Amino acid sequence: MIKLIYPLIVAVFLSFATYAKPKLGTKAPDFKLPDIFTGKIYTMDDFKGKVVLLNLWASWCTGCKAEMPEFFKLQKKLENRDFMIVAVSIDSSKKKALKFLKKVEKRTGIRTPFIVLWDSKKNLAKIYKPIGLPSSYLIDKKGILRKEFIGSFTTKNITLLEKEIEKLLEEKND
Amino acid sequence: MIKLVLIVVVPSFFFISCSNTLTSVMPYEREYFAQEKMQFDPIPSRTEQEAHVFLIREASAGGESSFQGGCGCR
Repeated sequence: MIKLIYPLIVAVFLSFATYAKPKLGTKAPDFKLPDIFTGKIYTMDDFKGKVVLLNLWASWCTGCKAEMPEFFKLQKKLENRDFMIVAVSIDSSKKKALKFLKKVEKRTGIRTPFIVLWDSKKNLAKIYKPIGLPSSYLIDKKGILRKEFIGSFTTKNITLLEKEIEKLLEEKND
Repeated sequence: MIKLVLIVVVPSFFFISCSNTLTSVMPYEREYFAQEKMQFDPIPSRTEQEAHVFLIREASAGGESSFQGGCGCR
């Protein structure tokens, strides 16, 4: 009976491995995704030395509709700083994602100011395992995952995000 | 050895199959559920019309909602 218990404990731990998601304070998971406009492949290394806000969004997500214009304005505001929003669309249809972006461009009067990647197979979402959509992850200049934001940002709470970004921008990149 | 592997592998498959990722739809997998045709009332105007017809047919002002009795007395 005791012999049976040990393998069972191992099995339980193995089953917990399916829940594993990136921990705050550890290196942000790498990816290899194409730009939705140009098709250029980007990896996490392309953003080294920059504070990155990794945003998982989709055209069918209601919160994303409210949040995206705020991100357009935020990137425009911080365009001369070491800050970059990397928006990852998890739409199956590229056409729908582009239509969504065009609508936001029209509404804000700003041309997409950041990098938008397309993850049609939802691989990055499967790694981050967000409990809601949209989800945003703040990554520091060293590529360490620092904060996780579940849900959408609005004009009311975007200042909280700005404060967190400022904190990371002030940190030295050693 | 085979016995040990079986003891480890079989329960692990059992526990993994019970995991949350397999039994529930993750937020990033809700693309098709988010479509309008998947809503309970894909055409809001039609739902409103049906409620109106129900109200007249049953003489039950407010009866179509879940928090009123449908007796017409409100």
